[in-house]
Amino acid sequence: MVYLLGVVAVAIRCGQRVSVAASVVSVAAFDFFCVPPYLTFIVSDYEYLVTFAGMLVVALVISAQTARIRAQALHATRREARTQALYRLSRALAGQTRVFETARAAAELAEEVFEVKVVIFLPDEDRISFRKRTSESLPVPLSDEAIAQWAFERGVKAGARMENFPNATAVYAPLLGAREICGVMCVIPDAAGHIFSEDQQNLVDLFANQTALAIERTLSQKAAEDTRLRMETEQMRSSLLSAISHDLRTPLASITGAASTLRSQHDKLAPEVKQELLESIAEEAERLNRLVGNLLDMTRFESGAVELRRDLYPLEEIVGSALQRVERQLQGRAVTAVLPGDLPLVYVDDVLIGQVVTNLVENALKYTPKETPLEIAAEATPDAVILEVRDRGPGLPAGDEKRIFEKFYRGSAKGARGAGLGLAICRAIVQAHQGKIQAFNRPGGGAAFRMSLPARSPS
Amino acid sequence: MKPLILMVEDDPQIRRFLRAALAAEGYRFQEATTAQDGLTQAAAHRPDLILLDLGLPDRDGLDVIRGVRQWSSAPILVLSARGQERDKIEALDSGADDYVAKPFTVGELLARVRAGLRRSATAPAGVAFQFGRIEVDLEKRIVKVAGEEVHLTPNEYKLLQALIKHAGKVLTQRQLLSEVWGPNSTEQAQYLRVYIAQLRRKLEQDPARPRHLQTEPGVGYRLVLEE
Repeated sequence: MVYLLGVVAVAIRCGQRVSVAASVVSVAAFDFFCVPPYLTFIVSDYEYLVTFAGMLVVALVISAQTARIRAQALHATRREARTQALYRLSRALAGQTRVFETARAAAELAEEVFEVKVVIFLPDEDRISFRKRTSESLPVPLSDEAIAQWAFERGVKAGARMENFPNATAVYAPLLGAREICGVMCVIPDAAGHIFSEDQQNLVDLFANQTALAIERTLSQKAAEDTRLRMETEQMRSSLLSAISHDLRTPLASITGAASTLRSQHDKLAPEVKQELLESIAEEAERLNRLVGNLLDMTRFESGAVELRRDLYPLEEIVGSALQRVERQLQGRAVTAVLPGDLPLVYVDDVLIGQVVTNLVENALKYTPKETPLEIAAEATPDAVILEVRDRGPGLPAGDEKRIFEKFYRGSAKGARGAGLGLAICRAIVQAHQGKIQAFNRPGGGAAFRMSLPARSPS
Repeated sequence: MKPLILMVEDDPQIRRFLRAALAAEGYRFQEATTAQDGLTQAAAHRPDLILLDLGLPDRDGLDVIRGVRQWSSAPILVLSARGQERDKIEALDSGADDYVAKPFTVGELLARVRAGLRRSATAPAGVAFQFGRIEVDLEKRIVKVAGEEVHLTPNEYKLLQALIKHAGKVLTQRQLLSEVWGPNSTEQAQYLRVYIAQLRRKLEQDPARPRHLQTEPGVGYRLVLEE
């Protein structure tokens, strides 16, 4: 019995062939040591021959069974490792929203699992490009691009030890998705070459497939996002059109009306009436000019054509020239500007930040009664310079604090005219300076607009 | 005789109202519609002031400025589009005296024309100079605000002197820097801004709303004499 235990032990540790040998040896050893005459292979009692045959059969059966269990165990461990690897892959790919990031995460994980170098190549307009790869260095010769392209076109693995291009150093596995082939995974075997086992090759295929599905998913997400953006743009365009058609036509209508009245009824009009018509032409033209200016600014900002020309400026100077610009519109309105003498210089584009101040003041003039005062104040904090334009008007309707910075949004106050672009331009400019702009109601009545510009880093 | 003004402008509608406005003020005028025509007429008529549109059909308006400046110091007033600071600076650095941004009112334009003609007529500022509450004695180097003497540092004084020398005219940052600190310091624009801010604090009643030391955003500074 002890001999049989030995056979089991050998069968668990080693392969089937070894355990068969162990069975034979154990029977021989039993004969040699335990059957009289001892220490010879001669058997005196022939009954022992039956015992030997029985023992051998039992030993062989045990070794076969054990070997099968062992193989199953090995298979189970492998399958577990494989499931584990695929699970980790799907986890790594789940959160990705960009094609390239997805490919890179997959390549990184594949390197860890296969313990060899892995690069994923992505297509550039229907051709695999070695320039669109997940690793910085290119571990395969550039001439392999043709092999990758071959695998990409046909959806069949190629390269080292494959049917096609067997002389290459690397294996090129196409990323087969549900709808298309998304790229090529290049696996560079190490000296041991265990990557070529059937098992590992299956896993490579599974990896490639999972990666392809993940890439397809991010692509469809991107397509959905693009569609959403396009719809928003459409919507914006139509609101822009309605704003333009209304806001540009109204002053044009007044100008045309006034000018044609002056031309055709010149002799019949009283001098005061003529003067009034002339005033209205000038005012409406001015309004039209502001409107066109705002539309142009917004368009320039959105098309990315605005280049900041930043330098160090005293805020006082910017506020001063902004007030100078709106001087005519102030019409005697009380405006106080309180700026501490020790404000640090701000690193800005003076023309654009000046425009923000101008727009904020114009906005306050438009939405608050003539007799209420305006205040401009500034202060420095350790990491920002803050400028506030405050009024004592009716304040902002609840919930409007954010919306007023949206394009084409106009406050509900009566008589307010304009395209609703002034504050949107302010926000675009301030954000381009990495600053913040917000609006809120003041204690004691009125609204305040606060712009905070980041203090300049010591560099 | 009334001053002669040459307008170089290709747009017929703008020429039309310029003509009306100038005639109403009694100025004599000549018209040119291209840069080449402008240069020829400037040489032929020797105008007292040139109104110049930068966007001309044949050549860059800057060429006209450089051409005229080779032989004439007649004031050049540039008509420019809004928001094109770079063009304005280039025009001023090339020798233009001032600019008005389109669209402009006739009032603004005529004020600039008058200022330009006055600058070219009067000799460089005399010994004593006064604007608003500010008095400057250029000989004794004394500056008074509302009768009180104010102490200026040498650089502040030099800056004020440069502004007075070109009173009413826009000076680009480059021009001011080179005049006050020498031709090699034209990149140190923030020093200039700090000195201007200090001058304003010493001379202006409300430095955040200066009456005389005015900023031309993105371009430079101007000393405004009248209120």
